Amino acid sequence: MKHKITRREYLRIMGISGIGISAGSLISDRLLAQDIGESGFQSSVIATNKVQDAQSSAVLINGEVIQPRRRLSLLSETDVLVVGGGPAGIAAAIAARRAGAKVTIVERYGHFGGLWSGGLVLLIIGHIAKGPKQVCQGIGEEMMRRLEKMDGAIINRSHGSNPTVDAEAVKYLMVEMIEEAGVEVFLHCWGVDAVRQDNSLRGVVFESKSGRQAILAKVVVDATGDGDIFAAAGARFEHRSHNIGLVSRIGNLDRVDKTKTSDTEKPRRLGSATPVPGVNWVNLTGPEVDGLDLATLTRMELNHRKYIWTKMQKVRSVPGYENVYLVETAPQLGVRITRILDGLNRVTVDDIKKATRHPDVVGVGGAAHFEHGEWQIPYGALVPKTVDNVLAAGRCIDCDVRMADLVRLIPNCFVTGHAAGVAAAVAVRDRCTPRQADVTEIQKILRQQKAYLG
Amino acid sequence: MEDGQDGGCSLPRPSSRISRRLLVRLVCIIVAVLCLLPIGDKDILLAFVPALSPFVAVASILVTKTVPLILILGFVTGLAALFRHRWFCHWVCPMGLCLDGASYLGRRLKRRPCQAMSINQWLLALTLAGAIVGYPLFLWCDPLALFSGIFLLGERHQMLAGAVSFLVVMLLLILSVLLPHVWCRGLCPLGAFQDLLARVPRSIRSILKPTSSLPSRERAGHPVARRTLLGLLIGAASSGILRLAGRDASRPLRPPGAVDEFNFKGLCTRCGNCVRSCPYGIIDRKTGQQDITGFMTPVLSFKEDYCREDCVRCTKVCPSGALAGLDLSNKPQIRIGLAQVDMNICLLGEDRECSACMRWCPYNAIRYVFSEAEYTLVPVIDADKCNGCGACEVACPTIPHKAIRVFAQPDIV
Repeated sequence: MKHKITRREYLRIMGISGIGISAGSLISDRLLAQDIGESGFQSSVIATNKVQDAQSSAVLINGEVIQPRRRLSLLSETDVLVVGGGPAGIAAAIAARRAGAKVTIVERYGHFGGLWSGGLVLLIIGHIAKGPKQVCQGIGEEMMRRLEKMDGAIINRSHGSNPTVDAEAVKYLMVEMIEEAGVEVFLHCWGVDAVRQDNSLRGVVFESKSGRQAILAKVVVDATGDGDIFAAAGARFEHRSHNIGLVSRIGNLDRVDKTKTSDTEKPRRLGSATPVPGVNWVNLTGPEVDGLDLATLTRMELNHRKYIWTKMQKVRSVPGYENVYLVETAPQLGVRITRILDGLNRVTVDDIKKATRHPDVVGVGGAAHFEHGEWQIPYGALVPKTVDNVLAAGRCIDCDVRMADLVRLIPNCFVTGHAAGVAAAVAVRDRCTPRQADVTEIQKILRQQKAYLG
Repeated sequence: MEDGQDGGCSLPRPSSRISRRLLVRLVCIIVAVLCLLPIGDKDILLAFVPALSPFVAVASILVTKTVPLILILGFVTGLAALFRHRWFCHWVCPMGLCLDGASYLGRRLKRRPCQAMSINQWLLALTLAGAIVGYPLFLWCDPLALFSGIFLLGERHQMLAGAVSFLVVMLLLILSVLLPHVWCRGLCPLGAFQDLLARVPRSIRSILKPTSSLPSRERAGHPVARRTLLGLLIGAASSGILRLAGRDASRPLRPPGAVDEFNFKGLCTRCGNCVRSCPYGIIDRKTGQQDITGFMTPVLSFKEDYCREDCVRCTKVCPSGALAGLDLSNKPQIRIGLAQVDMNICLLGEDRECSACMRWCPYNAIRYVFSEAEYTLVPVIDADKCNGCGACEVACPTIPHKAIRVFAQPDIV
């Protein structure tokens, strides 16, 4: 080459041609779109092929993968950001909205309900204390009442019994209630990092098909179950291992010919009934492992899937049970406990034994099998010790090892979610951090929202 | 009533001395009843009455080979008995007062009063010899134990045991009407023991000063000595036979601090103190089962409550040391029994969520282990930490039978 191009000239050429190509493709794409649209084809072509933030991909430098620093776009700005759309998150979002805050809820799966629907934990236990006395009221009870009015949504709803729900009904109901409440929703969106400023949380970073974006909020409710957000925010926590299972549903149990086998040969452990006739949900406890370890999660999925399939084949080989089949394995792995917040207060077994009355009670929990009395949940168990503007809700609130199996039960997640939502709204309204929020105000609004506080 | 107040008579009036004694005895029985009635939050006061017996104290030392503090009461009584023959019977014994009342009625009905019998000496000898071998055969005949036992008539769940105690005392009362003074003169082993103690100073004196001994007493001594020796031999033999016979018997759950099962069944005086002292009502008296040697002894029942980790009350009130005194600090180390799980009943065996037993165990003795073979969790009990308190049994939600229960351990030889 005789003539050397200067850098400026080079850039100018590239820039112009870039614009030219983009414009050209834009025009031609639109033409293409019009073409296909006219011929009646179902799918359409999106008008751009530009990937967001193309220059910020990770690079390999000296054998290490480095993510360059870049600006993230803002997905939304809100008062109360609820991360996680399970029982705790839904309760928190609806509660905060009803208390007057602007609320956004974000969920990593494509549906609400978390382990309740996605995890197929269809039996509701933990809302009834010895008596029997139902201690889970408020938004959780409201959901159960609405399920009663829906066709085929819930069975065994009577005083002192543990009901069973249908997952699809739950998913639908939550959509209805969230939309009624007027909460902003983002599904298929995974909370991956915290937006921090000193010891305060200012928002959360999300990853989705639309790329890496941030939502800024005044208060964040961490309803992820694993405390992903408060951990990213730098709050102290305990990392525990616990059993990981996989729930499944089996069908055609109403097409079993019981006369063909003796009682001793009948297959056992076929779960319990759901609102769908002939379909049972089957629980699985699983080994005690680390629910934050990817290799473990993978191994659990693989092992449980093999076990469930093999077990079903055995069931089908029993005379009379040939029609029984595996309807589905839960799309969500049954992780029970991972991170536990180190909060201002802790729920302990003494709270049951001594029937402790906390002055900052924001919720009351029950028993799994009606075998003991109610226990009060102090507000401090939701508040991290060192980080501001984030509240824990659901199974990750501060509790001792023996109480974790009660705190994580679905109705008790409704209760703590409800409390977190109200507390977040109060903090926003009073322009203070959740730590400084007036607990008597929180309790007053909770009672207005029909929560039972003992 | 004081001398001289009746107008100058200087001789002590017999009736005034009798009524003074009666007054003291009435006060004693009232005090005893107040101590034994299961009202209020009595602790060591419960032990006061049955622990007064030196008969029980000596048997206790012979069996347990230890001298706990509670035996002081018996010692004091026994010591005084060396100097004042049967002072306890005349001034204090509440059982004696009741039976004297019945005897008085009998005498009024012109029944012939009982003359001295030797049955009480036999009972004493059999018991003390049995105690040396490990089973004090008739310790339950102690009058204070019999008296204390009736204060459990309204016992929770146990009408039969209360009725038994009541009937025994009723029987003695009726017997005392028909044959006045039969118990105190002829049957009561504590009376025989006091007779024995009263002879000690005289024997010592006769050894030190042989010339002043009375011939009639010496002559009467030989049959007594022969009888006593025979009683001791039979007692020891019976106790030995019972030990061999009861070797493989299954044992029930005993209150904490219980001594070796064989010793326990004999050393327990059936006074009912432990039952009265238990704030949680988990102690019952055993009336069922074929084992007569353990009839009416206390057993634990975890139907509504368990042996709390912060309580050792029953061990502080046992007059005979059948329940050895415990401190709260060594309660975790004692072994009431061991918990065992029946996976056919356990909810975990049905893939159901439950962690009640682990939650309620005060000693962290239970954990759940995933069984690859069963593909579910199985509760595993750490035998080094489990003391058999029964908290898990109470907590277990399965009905009608509990999946986890406490079973008594076989005695460690």
